[in-house]
Amino acid sequence: MAVNLGLAQVSSDFMIAALMIYSLAVLAFAGDFAFGRPRRATRKSTASAVTPVALADADRAAELAAVGAAGVSGAAGAAGAAVNGAGGGPSGPGAAAPATLAAGGGGGANALPARPVPPFRAIWQAGPWVRVAVTLSAVGILAHVVAVITRGFAVHRAPWGNMYEFVTALTCVAAIFFVYVMIRYRAWALGVFVMGAVVVALGLAETVIYTTAGPLVPALQSYWLSIHVTAMTLSTGIFFVAAVLGIMYLVAERYRARVAAGKAQPGNGLLERIPSSAQLDKLTYRTVIFGFPIWTFGVIAGAIWADQAWGRYWGWDPVETFAFITWVLYATYLHARATAGWRGRRAHYLQLLGFASLTFNMLVVQVFITGMHSYAGVG
Amino acid sequence: MTDVHAPSDTVSAGADATAPFGVAETELDGTGGGATVGPPAAGADWLRWGWRQLTSMRTALVLLFLLALGSVPGAVLPQQGSDPGAVQQYFTSHPGLAPWLNHLGLFNVFAAPWFAAIYLLLFTSLVGCVVPRTFRLAGSARTPPPRAPRNLERLPHSASYSSALPPDAAVAVAASVLGGHRFRMRRPDAPDSGHWVSAEKGYLREAGNLLFHLALLGVLVSIALGGLFGYKADKLLVEGQQFADTAAALDEFHPGRLVSGSDLAPFSITLNSFTASYLNSGESRGQPAAFHAYITYTASPGAAPHSFDLQVNHPLSVDSTKVYLIGHGYAPVFKVTTAAGQVVYDQPTPFIPANTSTFLSDGVVKVPDAAPSQLGFMGVFVPTAVSVGGTLESVFPAADNPVVSLIGYSGNLGVNSGIPQSVYQLDTTGLRQLTAAPQVLLPGQTWTLPGGNGKITFVGYKQWVSLAITYDPGQVPALVCGILALGGLLLSFLVRRRRVFVRAVPAASGTGSVVAVGGLARTDASGGFEDEFASLSAELAAADAAALAADSVGGVRQEELEPNNQPETGA
Amino acid sequence: MVRAKRRTVVSVAAVAAALLTGALVVTLTQGTGQAADPNLVVYPVGHRPLAPDFTATSLTGTPIRFGSYRGKVVVVNFWGSWCDPCRREAPTLAVVAEQYRSRDVSFLGVDVSDTPANALAFTRKEGITYPSVNDSGYAVTADFGRVVLVSATPTTIVVDRTGHIAGEIYGTATYSELTSLLGEAAVTT
Repeated sequence: MAVNLGLAQVSSDFMIAALMIYSLAVLAFAGDFAFGRPRRATRKSTASAVTPVALADADRAAELAAVGAAGVSGAAGAAGAAVNGAGGGPSGPGAAAPATLAAGGGGGANALPARPVPPFRAIWQAGPWVRVAVTLSAVGILAHVVAVITRGFAVHRAPWGNMYEFVTALTCVAAIFFVYVMIRYRAWALGVFVMGAVVVALGLAETVIYTTAGPLVPALQSYWLSIHVTAMTLSTGIFFVAAVLGIMYLVAERYRARVAAGKAQPGNGLLERIPSSAQLDKLTYRTVIFGFPIWTFGVIAGAIWADQAWGRYWGWDPVETFAFITWVLYATYLHARATAGWRGRRAHYLQLLGFASLTFNMLVVQVFITGMHSYAGVG
Repeated sequence: MTDVHAPSDTVSAGADATAPFGVAETELDGTGGGATVGPPAAGADWLRWGWRQLTSMRTALVLLFLLALGSVPGAVLPQQGSDPGAVQQYFTSHPGLAPWLNHLGLFNVFAAPWFAAIYLLLFTSLVGCVVPRTFRLAGSARTPPPRAPRNLERLPHSASYSSALPPDAAVAVAASVLGGHRFRMRRPDAPDSGHWVSAEKGYLREAGNLLFHLALLGVLVSIALGGLFGYKADKLLVEGQQFADTAAALDEFHPGRLVSGSDLAPFSITLNSFTASYLNSGESRGQPAAFHAYITYTASPGAAPHSFDLQVNHPLSVDSTKVYLIGHGYAPVFKVTTAAGQVVYDQPTPFIPANTSTFLSDGVVKVPDAAPSQLGFMGVFVPTAVSVGGTLESVFPAADNPVVSLIGYSGNLGVNSGIPQSVYQLDTTGLRQLTAAPQVLLPGQTWTLPGGNGKITFVGYKQWVSLAITYDPGQVPALVCGILALGGLLLSFLVRRRRVFVRAVPAASGTGSVVAVGGLARTDASGGFEDEFASLSAELAAADAAALAADSVGGVRQEELEPNNQPETGA
Repeated sequence: MVRAKRRTVVSVAAVAAALLTGALVVTLTQGTGQAADPNLVVYPVGHRPLAPDFTATSLTGTPIRFGSYRGKVVVVNFWGSWCDPCRREAPTLAVVAEQYRSRDVSFLGVDVSDTPANALAFTRKEGITYPSVNDSGYAVTADFGRVVLVSATPTTIVVDRTGHIAGEIYGTATYSELTSLLGEAAVTT
């Protein structure tokens, strides 16, 4: 079937539109950074929250908070800490938190764990900059999705058959996944970094590796394209988010270590606004474990397809080998997180090394090293 | 493997409230076993120490990293197993460096002993860790959960609610709720230790973890099985030709160690015709659109023949052996006669494409039985020939305007020495070039060779396909193990090992009780225990109220209730 | 620093053991099933595999049934006009064929992967007068390949009077190899 050039043009236009809208969203996130409401006024170890519904007034909140301060312990609890009430919208990731009973309080006050504030209210309460930024991100994602889908219709197949299509699809996945994570964990401060990275990647795709819509070579004409490359697209998009978070963790961690050692001045605002190292670390971990099974599935699906097309399910083709290296590096990260002395910075180095290997695989190995995966369509 | 440790059998109430799972395994391995530092008593001591080191997380980390690092040259350098020609090229372009790399085994990384050493050590470490943990999991599945700590507020998640029921009834209600969620529970054994219930859930997490690691071992074993009992082969087949699956027929044959000739499935394949279609217009002009190799095959001699359209991504499966279409090219047909008219050569000659987008192909014709002297020709086949400044070039891969250009030689081909030569290369040492310029022939044209050496006719052309034939008995087991590994991985990420404790004490006011709930998730990879705990607490409180209402429907004690004792769960 | 020394020694020992095991595993699983082909294989009487029966067409088009050779010793030679070692041994085969004709020894060629025109040019040039079957489809080769190892050309298989394979010569056959194998084949009890 011939390529539908009209639809291909529509796809291109929507892709550019998405790029521009994302850029505006990044500006809005940056504006929130610079001018938005101060947040994270509380320190990690003392906060606790109660549901507005269960309380009569703010005094009781203060009283319980005081009691709760003594009761909550452990890092697991701290991650869920948040403050409600006069300080403005809920801050930091996680809004459910434990509450404790005032000793011997009797009389009916139940201290049950808070149910989280619903997402839309949380966005509203985060301030005008965040509202604008999230709205723009959502609109940008819509445009991006339309661009990807119309590309698929234009070429009558799944729209990830060459490098350009792959990058545009994975940035779409990254954007959707990140917005979900950001809203779930109320991590508005991460927006400028991750969406910024998405803008850069999409921009590079549009300029450097753009490929006009065309049919696939016979080796790629298989329903396995929809399975294998889709899984790789999804997991790459997710690992993309994890990589940005990992870089943020390393930068913030280094800055905080220097502040603690007295070598740098605290309070320049920027790094005070992003979540704590522990929270970034946990967020990164959860992102990686979401992406890792999908990557594993993608490798298995790729092996099944390789057997169909090339006669062997694993031949240590350069791209296969680097996909294996990426898998091993992320597995190393997961093991490192469970080993004393390897959590924290070292684990993140491993995770970033894994993403570097993934990127190297995508941009260099597929293009420049001859093997059976040379379908990038670039150059 | 992350750090779920089996619970110790008894937990003193309150003392270990924040770490009721006992000493974390991670604290053990960081210091190399926590063993005594004294000098080794005997060899057994050394072995034990060494074994503990090998199965520690840190060693696994190092080995995993080495595995990744060791694979890098296997991807970046040309490898003997997949592209021996590229390896040769590397030797010629890097004459100083290449022999050193070769000594290190870097041109065949994945078959190198040092690479095997890495994954063998890794899997030994894996097995040494997984097997004891399997026993521990089985043990912990039989051990009841630990007793509830006294001070549930010290746990990372805690909550409380008031109940109008006496403590034992309140705990009973809570236990039934927890039981409904399929928690494993423990009730107090001694009547004086209070009213509590201890519940635990999530053993599947560790089971999934162990399944994942064992399944990886299964993949390795399957690969080894395939390597021992399977084989890979290549065959180049011209249109009209036929072959049977036997070692002599195959151009390349790589059998596993335990494969013998009778293990090859006795099928035959005839290539009836091959068509390749290319895009005719647009930006991707010349890009292949489809390949069809129309074959007839018989599963065994004398069996009924079947037709099949062999394509890329559409292999033939016969008798658990698979046949794949890998490549194709052109085989121009030449007929050579002596000056007297006797035919001394008449067959299609496969030419190898030098350029895979235009299919300009090179080949050699050797006529050792020509008279008066042996003849040899170096040829170039141009599928769609266009003359560009005097040289012939191919502008399209289909044979729209096929032309062949030959350089003729006569003399001694060097074939009588018995040393095998490549059929694609001509050794011109004993040969004399017949004409200075190459001779261009259109299909059907004949070139009368000078010196009474006879004639060569370019009869026409046929196409050839290259097939890959593989048999791998380890393939299906490897897939099954891969899927099991994925399942185990998902289980270990999604399931969380968690404990919930409920303790009821009589209320200070005299009637009813105060129920405290505490929760602990040891490894909460995917998050969400907070939400689970929140909804579980709310459910416990609601069930308590419902039990109370059920009681009060019977008309008992309703007036005695405090109005705001009804738990408000909000949200 | 006993601890450090212990660590070094045990680690080195473990790595060495792993390397040795690795080498062992690699050679066992990845080696090819076809080790260096023996040059000459002889089967003692009573341990000779049965040669397959087949029907094929000669290079000139006449049908040939292998069963009709029962009662004679047959030298089955797998060859091709493209095969240089076959060219080297052709004079030997021609000479032995002539010498042993009176002793009830027949020669039969199996021409693989060839066209009749090329094959006939070869036999004409090299003086081969005994017939060959056209096995361009490898059917005969496959039949024999299921019984004994036939992996390349030239391969010469000697079948005794009872139809059992007395032995094989791999690669270029020499006069002494061929005549000694014919001597073995003559013995059938």
